[in-house]
Amino acid sequence: MATREPVIEVSSVATQLGGHVIHRDLNLSVGRGEVVALIGGSGTGKSVLLREIIGLLKPQAGTIRLFGQSVGDGSPAQMNALRRRFGVLFQDGALFTSLSVEDNVATPLFEHTGLPHATCRRLARLKLALAGLPPDAATKRPSELSGGMRKRVALARALALDPELLFLDEPTSGLDPISARAFDHLIRLLADNLGLTVFLVTHDLDTLFSIIDRVIVLSDGKVLGSGTLADLKQMNDPWLRDYFAARAGHKGASHGN
Amino acid sequence: MTAPNARYDEAGQALIVSGDWRVEAAAYLPRLDGKPVRVIDGAGIHQLDTNGAWLLLNAARVQADDPLPELRAFQPQHRALLQLVMQHGLATAASPPPRRDNILQSTGRGTLALWGHIVGLLGFVGQLTMELLGLITDPRHLRWRELAAQVRNVFVGAIPIVVGMLFLLGVVFAYLLGDQAQQYGANIFVVDGLLMAILREISPVIVAILIAGRTGAAITAQLGAMKVADEIDAIATLGLSPFAVLVVPRILALLIAMPLLVFLGDVAGMAGGMLITAQQLDIAPHMFMDRVSDVIQLKILVVGLVKAPVFAIFIGLIACRMGLSVSRDAKSVGEHTTSTVVQSVVAIIVLNAIFAVLFVQLDI
Repeated sequence: MATREPVIEVSSVATQLGGHVIHRDLNLSVGRGEVVALIGGSGTGKSVLLREIIGLLKPQAGTIRLFGQSVGDGSPAQMNALRRRFGVLFQDGALFTSLSVEDNVATPLFEHTGLPHATCRRLARLKLALAGLPPDAATKRPSELSGGMRKRVALARALALDPELLFLDEPTSGLDPISARAFDHLIRLLADNLGLTVFLVTHDLDTLFSIIDRVIVLSDGKVLGSGTLADLKQMNDPWLRDYFAARAGHKGASHGN
Repeated sequence: MTAPNARYDEAGQALIVSGDWRVEAAAYLPRLDGKPVRVIDGAGIHQLDTNGAWLLLNAARVQADDPLPELRAFQPQHRALLQLVMQHGLATAASPPPRRDNILQSTGRGTLALWGHIVGLLGFVGQLTMELLGLITDPRHLRWRELAAQVRNVFVGAIPIVVGMLFLLGVVFAYLLGDQAQQYGANIFVVDGLLMAILREISPVIVAILIAGRTGAAITAQLGAMKVADEIDAIATLGLSPFAVLVVPRILALLIAMPLLVFLGDVAGMAGGMLITAQQLDIAPHMFMDRVSDVIQLKILVVGLVKAPVFAIFIGLIACRMGLSVSRDAKSVGEHTTSTVVQSVVAIIVLNAIFAVLFVQLDI
C-alpha cells in the first residue's frame, strides 16, 4: 500500500512537565495496519507521548488525532466512542485485582455492549484463548497468575472490544526471553489476523527485529528518524549506533539464524 | 452499519450470511431455527471482528462437538478470522456461577477468621516483644529520625483537630450541664462536673477514637501499600527488620503523642467550658480557675493520662498488624484499613470500660 489512511497523527506537539521540556515540535503519523515501535533512551518521553495519544495527558501545544478525530477536544460522548476504537496494554498489566481474570476481560463488554453478562463472559473466554491462556485461568485472580500470564490477560482485555488500534507499553518487559518471543508472535499473529494497527513502546531489540514494520526513534524531544530497521542502521547517530551495537554484542555468535 | 443477516439457501443446506458482524450485531441477531449448519456462505459479509465471528458461530448453533462448518466464498481475511475463532473460541463454556455461603457457613468462616485474627495478633505481639528486647539491649538500631518524623505526623498534625473537637465538646457539655445546674442555683458545680468528665473520660476516649481514625487508618494503608509494592520484602532482604524500621517507630510515636494530645484535649475542653460558663452562668474566668484549683485532684488528671498510652499501644498494634497482613491486591488494603478502625474503636471502648471498673474497685 503506497499511502495508507493515517490512524494516529501527532503534529507539532510540545510538552512540559514540572518545568522540564519533554517534547518540542514532535510530529509523527501511523497508517492503518502498521505495526510501529517507538524507541528512545530512558527519559525521552516515550511513555508520556503514549499517554498523550490515548488522552490521559494533554500536551501544552500541538494536536493529536486518532482516526481523524482530535483527542481531548471532543465531548465526553465523542471521547468514549473514540476510546472504544482502541485498546491499551499498560506496562504492568493494570489488571483490576479485585476481579477474576474473566471479569477483568469482560468489564469493557459489560460497560459498552448490551449483551447479557453470561455472553460477555463467554466472549471474554474467547479473548483469553486468543491471548493464549488455558481455560482454567479464567476464574483465577490476577494475583494468582505469573507475570507473563498477567500480560496476556491484559492483552485479552485490551482486545475485548475488537479495537482497530492497539497501544502496548513495553509489552515484553519483565518476561523471560521465551515468553517474550511467544508474546511477540502472538501480537503479530493477532495484528495480521484481526487487521490491527499496533503502536508499541519498547526497549526490546528482539521485538523490533521480529515483528515490527517500522520504527520511530525519539530523541531530545523530537522524532530523530523513522523507517525500517535497515533504514535506521544507515543513520549516523551515536545513540542509535550504541543501541544496535548492544544487540550485535550479544548476538554476534549466533548471527544468521 | 448494515444489520447482520443470516438465512438458509433454498436447499436448506447452507447459511448465507451478510452485513456487519461486530459486537453490536448482538442486538440484530437473526433468528435461525437451530438445525446444525454444514456450510456458511460469507460472500456478503461487509465487516467482521472476533466478537462478531463468535456471535455468528453461535447463531449457526455450532457446538463444541459439532463438526466445523465449511466456509464458502469468504473474503480471505474474514476466513482467517473465523478460523482463528473456531480454533480458540469453541471451548468457551460458561463458568459455573460462584457458590454462595449459607448463614451457617458464613458464621463458621467468620469465627475462623476471628480466631485467625486473635492468633495473629498474639504472634505479632510476641514478635514485637522480642524486637523491643533487642532494641533495649542495643538501642543504636532504633530509627531516631523515623521516630521523630512519626511523632511529628501523629502529634503535630493532630493538634488542630483534637483541640477543635475537645473545645466544642467542652462548650456543649458546659452548656447542657449549666442549663440543669442553673435551676438549682448550683452554677459553680458545673466546673466540678466539667473537670471530672473532660479529664477522666471525654478527652482520653475522644482523642483515642480520633487517632484511631486518623493515624491508625493511615498506618494500615501505608504499610499495606508498601506490602503490595513488595517494599516490606525488600526491607527484609536488605537484612533489616520491618519491625525495627516500620512498626516500632510508629508504636513509640503513638505512645509519646497520645498523652500529650490528651493533655491538650483537657486544656481545650476546659477552655470551651470556661467560655460558656462565663457567658451563660456568670462565672468569670478567674472564678472558674479558682474553682478548678480548689477541686482538682492530681488523680483525676492522672487517670485520664494513664489511659492514653494503653489506647496508643492497642491502636498501634492493630494498625501495624493489619497493614502487614494485607494481601497483594488493592481491595485488601481497603478492607484492612476499615478493619483497623473498627477493631481500634472496639478496643478503646472495651478498654475504657475495664478501666472504669478497675478504678472504682481501686477507689481511685
